[in-house]
Amino acid sequence: MRFGALRGRRPAAEPVRDGAARWAAPSVPVRKIGWRTRLKADRSLLLMVLPAVGLLVVFAYVAMLGNIIAWQNYSPYTGFLHSPFVAWANFERVFSNPLFLDAVRNTLTITAFQLVFFFPIPIFLALLLNSVMSPRLRTAIQSVVYLPHFFSWVLVVTLFQQMLGGAGLVSQTLRQHGYAGFDLMTNPDSFLVLITMQSVWKDAGWGIIIFLAALGTVSPELYEAAAVDGANRWRRIWHVTLPALRPVILLLLILRLGDSLTVGFEQLILQRGAVGPGVSEVIDTYVYYQGVVNGDWGFSAAAGLVKGVVSLALVLGANKMAHLFGEAGVYQKA
Amino acid sequence: MKTTTPLSRVGFMAVDRRSFLRMVAAGAAVVGVPSLLAGCTSSSPTGAATSGRPIGDVIPSYIPVEYVTPDFPSVNGSVPGFLTLPKELVQSVASAPGSGATFKAMTPLWGTIPPTTGNQYYKAVNGMLGSTIEFQITDGNTYGDKLATVLASAKDVPDWVCIPTWNLPPRFGSEIVGNVFQDLTPYLAGDKVKEYPNLANIPSDAWKFCVFNGKLYGLPFPGGTLNDAIFYRKDLIEGMGITVDVKSGDDLLALALELTDAAAGRWGADDLWTPATIIHSVPPKWKLDGGKLVHRFESDEYRAALEWNAKLFASGAVHPDAVAGQTGDAKKRFQSGRTLIMGDGLGGWNEALRDNLASNPSYWQQPFDYFAADGGKPVLFKANPTNIFSFLKKSDDKNKITELLALANLLAAPFGTTECDVITNGVEGVHYTKDSAGLPVPTPLAATELQPTYIFLVDGPVTETHVQYPGYVKAISTWQAKAAEYATDPLFYGQQISEPQQFGSLGQPFVDLELDISRGRKSLSDLDAAVTTWKAAGGDDLRAFYQEILDAQ
Repeated sequence: MRFGALRGRRPAAEPVRDGAARWAAPSVPVRKIGWRTRLKADRSLLLMVLPAVGLLVVFAYVAMLGNIIAWQNYSPYTGFLHSPFVAWANFERVFSNPLFLDAVRNTLTITAFQLVFFFPIPIFLALLLNSVMSPRLRTAIQSVVYLPHFFSWVLVVTLFQQMLGGAGLVSQTLRQHGYAGFDLMTNPDSFLVLITMQSVWKDAGWGIIIFLAALGTVSPELYEAAAVDGANRWRRIWHVTLPALRPVILLLLILRLGDSLTVGFEQLILQRGAVGPGVSEVIDTYVYYQGVVNGDWGFSAAAGLVKGVVSLALVLGANKMAHLFGEAGVYQKA
Repeated sequence: MKTTTPLSRVGFMAVDRRSFLRMVAAGAAVVGVPSLLAGCTSSSPTGAATSGRPIGDVIPSYIPVEYVTPDFPSVNGSVPGFLTLPKELVQSVASAPGSGATFKAMTPLWGTIPPTTGNQYYKAVNGMLGSTIEFQITDGNTYGDKLATVLASAKDVPDWVCIPTWNLPPRFGSEIVGNVFQDLTPYLAGDKVKEYPNLANIPSDAWKFCVFNGKLYGLPFPGGTLNDAIFYRKDLIEGMGITVDVKSGDDLLALALELTDAAAGRWGADDLWTPATIIHSVPPKWKLDGGKLVHRFESDEYRAALEWNAKLFASGAVHPDAVAGQTGDAKKRFQSGRTLIMGDGLGGWNEALRDNLASNPSYWQQPFDYFAADGGKPVLFKANPTNIFSFLKKSDDKNKITELLALANLLAAPFGTTECDVITNGVEGVHYTKDSAGLPVPTPLAATELQPTYIFLVDGPVTETHVQYPGYVKAISTWQAKAAEYATDPLFYGQQISEPQQFGSLGQPFVDLELDISRGRKSLSDLDAAVTTWKAAGGDDLRAFYQEILDAQ
């Protein structure tokens, strides 16, 4: 009962709605145990976690100190110890640069669009797949929809080019039958739809894994009970399945929001030439061109830091929202 | 990045410099490097040269040696061509210059990395050298990334480092070169080079480009005068009964459209942006207009080239995949006949023959004789005299530097020497056998061991020696001689100018703009706006920076 020792610190918590998402905290106050005793009790567990903590400290937290270059005119050849300090100049440049603001706008547009037209698709797919009774058929479908996830973006974009490009299969077939061809790949106006299609094709199958796992935990008795009460299939989905999925959906939504300023770097950089930066420049590609390509490290660190801070705020905000909905979210204060 | 020859010496499996660039540009499509190329133009200067005064004292004297008389001698700086391989080879360095030491060298490679142990090619060349060069080879497409990290830590820098000009990292001239690499001026300047006759045989323009901040740092891999050409599929076009007679930009537009048959899956042209800049004589960086410096982006020529390219795209003669920016497959489209006109480096010519003649003996691509867009006399700007150079790690040990230079002297042996023959073809009986015509035929072992490695450290003057493709040397040599007539020095030709860091990203918007305007997504008025922004964002300061250099000359 070593976990019990740790858990003993926690004050008696309010009763929880969802047992799976949280530990069931003891409702009776526990005698306070000294830290020495706890250290001794959890010695081997702590030892086991030490390497991971070490890695995290070295490769995440120490590396984070490197963000100091956002306040410098940094050059890797002089190092951050000797690069001149420029206070907030890099941040001023970031915010006064119209190209950066364009990139932010494109990023948010793409995120918002995909939140509506991409995010729900794995849920629908999972529900559909869950209703397939034959296990063999289910496995076959699952394999087929997972597969594109393992293709690189270069391959996916090439495949779309070969199918929907101006000299693609569809276009050439139309031409050979006397119709005009079309070119979906180079039209900036439909770019948003195109990249969402690509994302769906590539990742929707992969996205269903977590939902399927959540669906697997729903007790069949609930469905049986609902059926006995006269609930039809639609009612069962609405009253049993979806409530069971809700914590997972919210969790993924929060994580997605935290990632919302990160949209398909590779996917977009590959198609930048085809549709132009007007619709395809996002924060990540902007930082890449400004900082990495042009060696303006301080500036791009500043832009990256702005992105990081906004993302953090989004995660915290979304988590708060989840609490308001009565869900556990990503984490809760102890 | 452009000419063929030295790499082509390496034989049938080698990829030449131009195709590196094409690959880099292709990688561009993949990793977004178009701006890398721009980055390369912005950080690696262009340059005017007529034996610049301050540079004159720094570069080695030019003492040409000729071991074999070319069948097509150089005309106005064109690359000399050879129709046969010499029967008698000359040994240019009497005995192995090395002391038996081992040196580490870092080079890029666009190909399969050869084995380091038991490699008989290395053994043969190191035997000639008398010292061992240990290679650290990195994939050429990601070489720049590796360089950036290696150079950031001076103590990890190998003894000898190859740097392609397009991989020159930002701040190279201002912070890196002086701190990390050896100043070779005291060893090679003026007549001091006489101790190294093969290095003295490298033309002065190539050396000038190796001068940073008034000191000689680099060892060159010399390039040709003109590197770009506009190719057409002569075999296919003539087979269609069409005679090629292109004398102006409008002629080319008309031809491209005439050749297009979308339903048959055939388009007249690939993206012709580089050809457009050539036929419109767009200056590589600056031009002088009434004593005033005018930047490429502000010039009428640049504008006209954009307008022409936009017309080409609007006509529908460009292959849709090229419109979609899939530059990496441009050669594939051209060689399979899906496009019939494309711009490429001259080096792409012999490669195309290498890759296609076996399966299609009638394959022939031909460059258009150069013309000006308005039908007048063409003005062609010379390419950088060096596209790849190497540097020696800074050292207080004079003997180490002189030994490395002596090794470089051997590696720079020109065509017609035994040294060049071994470096190019390897060992007879091991890496090649001779056919009835006396031409080397590579063995399977050559494909794994004999990759271009030593030539990235230093190379002799460019020559055209692809005798194995019937008619090729004659065709390229006569074409080059004709084109070289129009070759002009661009302003600041051959000079290494390190621009201050703040100008690094100035050119970036134009890379995008070129794509946007060509494809009709933006108009020429957007160019005007971009130029105004460019001026305000530092373009005028950049002009002042170059004006100062110009005034000092």
